[in-house]
Amino acid sequence: MKLPRRIAAFFHREAETRALREEMQLHVELRARKLHHAGLAPVDAGFAARRQFGNAAVYQDQISAIWGWTMWERFLQDLRHGIRMLFKAPGFAAITVLTLALGLGINTAIFSAVNAVMLRPLPYPQSDRLISLWEENTQPRDQRFSSSGTSVGSGGPVGRTTVSPANLADYRACAAFEDLAAFDSYPGNLTGIGTPERISGEAVTWNFFSVLGVLPAEGRPFLAEEDRPGANLVVIVSHEFWQRRMGGAADALGRSVMLDGNPYRIVGILPVGFQSPQEVALKTPSEVFRTASYSSDLLTSRGDHEVNVVGRLKPGVSVTAAQAALSAISASLGKQFPDSNRYFRAAIAPLRDDLAGKVSQSLWALLGASGLIVLIACVNVANLLMVRAAGRRHESSVRMALGAGRLPLMRQLLTESLVIAVAGCLAGIVLGRLLMLGLTVIAPPGIPRIESAGMDWRVFSVAAVIALSTAVIFGMAPAWQASQVKPVEALKTAARGTGGASQVRWRTALTVAEVALSLVLLVGAGLLLRSFSTVMGVKLGFQTDHVIAMNINLPQLRYPDGDARWRFFQNLEDRVRALPGVVALATANRMPMRGGWSSGLFVDGDMENEYVPDFQAVSPGYFETLGIPLLRGRSLTLQDDGKSLPVAVVNQAFAHQLLHDRDPIGHTMQRGADAPRISVVGVVNDIRRAGKEARIKPEVYLCAAQTDLYPTHLADFAVRSAGDPRALVNAISHEVWAVDKDQPVTNVHTMDEIVDEAVSERRFQTLLLLIFAGVAVALAIVGIYGVLTYSVNQRLSELGIRVALGAPPRAIVGLVLRQAGALIAAGIALGLAGAYGLTRFLQDLLFEVKSTDWHAYAGAVVLLAVVAVIAALIPARRGARVDPAIALRQE
Amino acid sequence: MSVPKREEIPPGTLEMLILKTLARNKPLHGFAIAEFILETSSGVLQVEEGSLYPALQRMLLKDWIAGDWGKTEENRRARYYSLTAEGRKQLARELDRYARVSQAIAAILQPA
Repeated sequence: MKLPRRIAAFFHREAETRALREEMQLHVELRARKLHHAGLAPVDAGFAARRQFGNAAVYQDQISAIWGWTMWERFLQDLRHGIRMLFKAPGFAAITVLTLALGLGINTAIFSAVNAVMLRPLPYPQSDRLISLWEENTQPRDQRFSSSGTSVGSGGPVGRTTVSPANLADYRACAAFEDLAAFDSYPGNLTGIGTPERISGEAVTWNFFSVLGVLPAEGRPFLAEEDRPGANLVVIVSHEFWQRRMGGAADALGRSVMLDGNPYRIVGILPVGFQSPQEVALKTPSEVFRTASYSSDLLTSRGDHEVNVVGRLKPGVSVTAAQAALSAISASLGKQFPDSNRYFRAAIAPLRDDLAGKVSQSLWALLGASGLIVLIACVNVANLLMVRAAGRRHESSVRMALGAGRLPLMRQLLTESLVIAVAGCLAGIVLGRLLMLGLTVIAPPGIPRIESAGMDWRVFSVAAVIALSTAVIFGMAPAWQASQVKPVEALKTAARGTGGASQVRWRTALTVAEVALSLVLLVGAGLLLRSFSTVMGVKLGFQTDHVIAMNINLPQLRYPDGDARWRFFQNLEDRVRALPGVVALATANRMPMRGGWSSGLFVDGDMENEYVPDFQAVSPGYFETLGIPLLRGRSLTLQDDGKSLPVAVVNQAFAHQLLHDRDPIGHTMQRGADAPRISVVGVVNDIRRAGKEARIKPEVYLCAAQTDLYPTHLADFAVRSAGDPRALVNAISHEVWAVDKDQPVTNVHTMDEIVDEAVSERRFQTLLLLIFAGVAVALAIVGIYGVLTYSVNQRLSELGIRVALGAPPRAIVGLVLRQAGALIAAGIALGLAGAYGLTRFLQDLLFEVKSTDWHAYAGAVVLLAVVAVIAALIPARRGARVDPAIALRQE
Repeated sequence: MSVPKREEIPPGTLEMLILKTLARNKPLHGFAIAEFILETSSGVLQVEEGSLYPALQRMLLKDWIAGDWGKTEENRRARYYSLTAEGRKQLARELDRYARVSQAIAAILQPA
């Protein structure tokens, strides 16, 4: 009650003061009138009344104290003074505010990205209880089965796989979970509404929405009996699907849509903006959700790791406790089903952490780097504040000589730093917002939720806390310095603006710190740059230029088997081959860097040793289209078909790893004991099929026409063109539609684009860290330049005497450079130690480069030293050019 | 006209006197409060302006009195103070305390 009244009164205090003055005035007049009535002359009565009244100003001060205004008034006074002083020194104000804004802006931008990706809760009720569940293959690496299928969350260790639906049934029995639900990408060919289109969707278990805690806005969730093979075909659509494709029709519920040639009845419409966990990671909005309806085969086959799993913990159960309970289950499954489960264990992690995955490493690194920039900016501001405090030594001394206390003096300087901090903070937030916009534009795809990065209370409070602590910590040193002034001595040295020895020590220390911090950033950027250039230098082994790839996913209904699919693609190949500008073309289950398939294999009838190479089913044009040279034997031809002998082409790694460098031609292989034997007819060059950062693996290229040999679906189509391959997209699409008017063509990208996108995240990191390092070095240089200029100005008369006594300019330059050299060397030594300690956190982001890579260290040291010496040369040369007459006159 | 010897107001009692004055009157301005105390005490208790106005401000802040602007008979703007409910309670507390203290003092001063 009292505090609000005081505060309210504070804002009215001018009116209140006026009121009081009026009251007192009236008092005096009334008393004067009374005295007059008592017989005094009017003039005397007035004097007497005023005399009796006393000093009105003192009463007002007392009253001000009663209301508790004094402190505030002093603060406001300091504030006004501070702002006035800053306006008097606009250059100083601009540089400090800008420096702070730069540091804070970068930090704010990176932090808001971190916030969006990793800190903000997921858009589900009680999302802290949601977990992601996957299985891990604990088998030794060399004999490991590897699935190239994508799974949600890219952050898992090698050996992480999706979950087998059969195991899932056992995991669901675990008491730690409220429930577990499975989901998997399940796009569909949508027909009957406009042109045929392939839309993203998911196949989910019936309890998927209740595990997430989201109910359809219209209609109902799935029923358990709808999640069985042969059940009624039902679909739940996104709000966007309903609005965009159905025009928001009121009778949408109960209507049917054609997906993959089947009618699905709409039973639910999801709320606006619903995102499934899959989308949070992948950014492509799922429009249709269908029931997974696992077949009874799948539900008994524990070796098929196919689905993503999300779960909800029971209230109060920790992730660790749930993991322990789950591990017990997977251990007992391992004993019960050793063939399939011996090497698999189930693992969980909070869903949010899992989705952020690998991105979180690079964002934390960037956040750390931006933290260093804030530090450098703060050091610079402290440096500037010190120069300024030194410049005002005279003022401080005069004020202290006149009786100002040390505390009020410090308080005033601190208030000034506060003004700078607040201005810097505001400018920093604005700058941060702009940088954030820029960041979302250049951010590579695959960073979940970054597009939603913005300013919220977390971002604001972090910026404010940083700015205020800057003001206090870095304003304190100069304020303390100023308060230590000894007025007599300071006034005796008539020269204004000298800071004394302790000032120089402080500022030297700050500059050394700046050099050290920027060296750390430079080394980090250097390491990433080396990794990036290493990655860029990696040869993929195939020619990516002039190739366009697309996905043509044939629906099961119209293309029930491999022969039907192969006939479609043969037909399409014949038509497209006739198009002008087509040099070569190929069909495959997957083109390189677009996923793939791997499976067990036995060589030369030896059923003891199972190998797990990658498999591709390719049409004869594959090697020519991708520019993969044939090294030995022959390539696949159109004569190899279902009626001829099963043949395959392998790569060098296959020969090396599986056949111990024997000539592969003539060897046979089979995928199972009763499977047909396939003869190797040719050897092609190695390629890095999964991208530049992937290992070269043994590859088997099966003949697409021999459809009995592979279970996977042909779905990718690629064309090598003479000119710009994109010019062919329309013509190719028309040929597709000429074969099947309902067939969508999706995921159309040139190979160059695909390769480029694969390195985009690395490029993004490297670019940002380079920019950060650049900013850091620039700030450090400002620091070095500032401290040397200052020290040269201080030594002007000394230098003047040296020149007068015949010192050549070179000697003067050397003198200043020696000082600079000591400073830079100290900073570099400190920075090297810091870099050695800190860059190990970058190790996971590096590619074939150690965090102690000497190239990066040496490069950073040389660059920083050269730039720093150049910055030092400017004041040094000014010192050398000093005119002794002028320098001595200043004394 | 004989002027009685004026006395300082005993410390701690000024606020009570102001409260009592306001309790016995319609709203008054500062000068009138001082005059009322002076007259009612037959010219003995002189309220110094230097303590009156700070005391009024303190009491405003504590919400014992309210101040409303009005006009004097000569049509001058003045702040008229009146008792609030809280002020009335405070007056009762102070009167109670004062009675106990003066009784105690009287007991000590009584001839044995």
